[in-house]
Amino acid sequence: MPAEKIMIKKLLITFLFLTISASAFAKEKLIVGTYDSFTTEWGPGLEIEKMFEEICECDLEYIATSQAGTLTNNLFVKNKDVILGVEAHNFDYSTQDYRVYDYGYFAFIYNKENLKNPPKTFDELLSRDGVKLIVQDPRTSPVGLGLLRWMKTIYKDNFKDAIKTINKKIITYTPGWSEAYGMFLEEKSDIVLSYSTSPYYHQEYENDYRYEALIFEEGHLTTKEIVYVTADSKQKKLGRQFIDFMLDKDVQNIIASKNIMYPVSKDKDAMPKKMAKLIKPIEIDYPQLLVAEDLISEWLKALVE
Amino acid sequence: MIPVLSVVYLYDLNKGFELSEYVISITYFTLYQSLLSALFATIIGCLFAYLLIKHEYIPGVKYIVNSLSILFVLPTIISIFGILSFYGEFIDIYGFSGILLGHTILNIPLVTRIIFQSLKDISPNERLLAQQMNLNFRALFFAIEWPIIKKNIPSIFVLISFICFVSFTPVLILSGSPKYSTLEVAIYQAAIFANDYNNALNLLSIQMLICIVIYIIFFKNFKSRNFIIDENKKYLLLNSFSYKYFFDYFILSMVAFLIFSPILFVVVKGLNTSLIQVLNSNYFWPTLGTTLIISFFSGLLSIILTYSNLILLNKSNKISELWFYVLIIFSPAIMAIGYYIFFNEILSFNISNIFIVILINSIFTLPFTYNYLSPSFFRITQEHYDISESINIYGLRRFLIIDLPRLKEPIITAFCISSILSASDLVIISFFGTNSLSTLTQTIYRLMGSYRMEEAYAVALLLLIYCFLYFIVSYKLVLRKWNTL
Repeated sequence: MPAEKIMIKKLLITFLFLTISASAFAKEKLIVGTYDSFTTEWGPGLEIEKMFEEICECDLEYIATSQAGTLTNNLFVKNKDVILGVEAHNFDYSTQDYRVYDYGYFAFIYNKENLKNPPKTFDELLSRDGVKLIVQDPRTSPVGLGLLRWMKTIYKDNFKDAIKTINKKIITYTPGWSEAYGMFLEEKSDIVLSYSTSPYYHQEYENDYRYEALIFEEGHLTTKEIVYVTADSKQKKLGRQFIDFMLDKDVQNIIASKNIMYPVSKDKDAMPKKMAKLIKPIEIDYPQLLVAEDLISEWLKALVE
Repeated sequence: MIPVLSVVYLYDLNKGFELSEYVISITYFTLYQSLLSALFATIIGCLFAYLLIKHEYIPGVKYIVNSLSILFVLPTIISIFGILSFYGEFIDIYGFSGILLGHTILNIPLVTRIIFQSLKDISPNERLLAQQMNLNFRALFFAIEWPIIKKNIPSIFVLISFICFVSFTPVLILSGSPKYSTLEVAIYQAAIFANDYNNALNLLSIQMLICIVIYIIFFKNFKSRNFIIDENKKYLLLNSFSYKYFFDYFILSMVAFLIFSPILFVVVKGLNTSLIQVLNSNYFWPTLGTTLIISFFSGLLSIILTYSNLILLNKSNKISELWFYVLIIFSPAIMAIGYYIFFNEILSFNISNIFIVILINSIFTLPFTYNYLSPSFFRITQEHYDISESINIYGLRRFLIIDLPRLKEPIITAFCISSILSASDLVIISFFGTNSLSTLTQTIYRLMGSYRMEEAYAVALLLLIYCFLYFIVSYKLVLRKWNTL
């Protein structure tokens, strides 16, 4: 029967295609587990891979996950030599083989044309009437969790009341950053929770200067991204070479301009020009780690009661 | 069972389990919203299918029916953006009403497509007979359509309520507050965010327990007779355009607008300047290729699995149908983690990720394939069972000689649906996808995750076009070929 023959043919072709693509490489291999926006065509990953492979004469392979939060999951960490992109608040610091490779500040982003007299302090935002906010759900998004840590640091014992007040302005809590930011760009809200460097993307890639970050006098919570060599890695030397390579000034520039975060390198070539012009918030004093589960249950209690 | 057992593998019996007040309140809410959403979606979906069949003579109806299935493929987030843009302006959409509206809009197409498929099986003779008896419109409905709709209601209702039960993105975005949340959100948080498999499995047990109760209540209490269908189905259009149907037309266009608003949104947003850029990019064409491979083979495998299960089901009692439905409530997050553990930790050899993606997708889509295929299958076998038994036709031969020619339309539909569902999957691909193994749906999310909204909309539009073409090609090519057999 012709239909059947075609089907078998297709099956064979696919099978062949898969076998070829799976064939092994002879060079030493470094497996880097990361999140997927790092490894996309428009992310920093591919360029960095090329540059590193020229130096190390090895084969760098990314295994990317698109689930936020999986980077710290033991299941994911297993069989990887390096993990790239763990948020500093989630990192357990059980190893010395780690580097912070970029950082940013949690901040609210607004559109200048739609919001006049932007609030200058967190308090002003809380007492401002008629603004619509979109933030991420702390149960499913690291950014949403960042807001809770930030607010707990500012409001300490008044955290619960602050949560209740801001909740009145929040129209919805989205599963992740993408949904929140997308809805904001669709003008579903006046303000969205993101990073203070977000306006850089619109300036650099869209030549659009409408978006700005609200800079609060109380200070902003930082978020740092960490790259580290896993404890079980059999390529420790190569892994260490890679994490150091991440601090190279050219690599830092690529990361900053494609990850839309500040470079850690102080070298002037590391900082993209338009990013240097953004207002850098004051870093808030964050003395000790606030445990995610406790914050979330406090948040839930405040809102559900 | 593999995925759940694999997660159970990590279960720590020494840890206790406490049922917090919050969990009780979201359990209650999850149940309430899913039953109510399923009720609305089922009623409106059935009404819509009935009106579509009744007015099949309207030129656009055929296209509406075929595009219904394409509605499932749109990434949930894009559909939700569409819903927010169309209805967010008129009503306060965040909250309970938003969840209901969202779930209803997202699920009507599924209900309508399944009911429409079954109503197509009504014998023209039966219709003719009913008309000759001069039955009025109500009697006509209860004599002809109602028995078929009634027979389908329990399975559809259960299907939709399960889908709404495990709803994740729609509930999070449309609820506007953690007050309205589903168990699935809590499971996701426990399993993926907090690495707390114990808690995740405990919550999953509650979820499954409730869903099994729903299943038993609705399946036990609704049973309906089987009926005869004619092999010689010729189109018999009894109705023609008339002003007395004004009300029907009004409802038809209202529901059509309601459910097609997300597509409209994608078309409007997708036609932007990034479209050309996407077509010229390095990622688009390889991703399209991967999407095609995954959808084709998942669809094929899903049909094979469903068909062989239907054969088995036909021989044993009906309770094993539950097996298909349980697949939905197994919480996508747990399923994916379970398979991840199974393929990476328990199995000692490596399997290429694309095979895993295809395999899991074909299993995930079983409940849907089953719902499309089973009504027609059971009717066909009822008629031909004795004959095929008496002339000793079994297995592949029976499939090719008896079932295939009679089931070709539902098979193609089910194939397309499961293909499209596999293309729209985000959970499996996010666990097993790699740099070179990515689908269009995943690309949309990745673009959104990197500020590239315009490009994301453009890819969503291209995904939509891909699905339309997939349907057209499958129907045109395959149906034509089989007809000449």
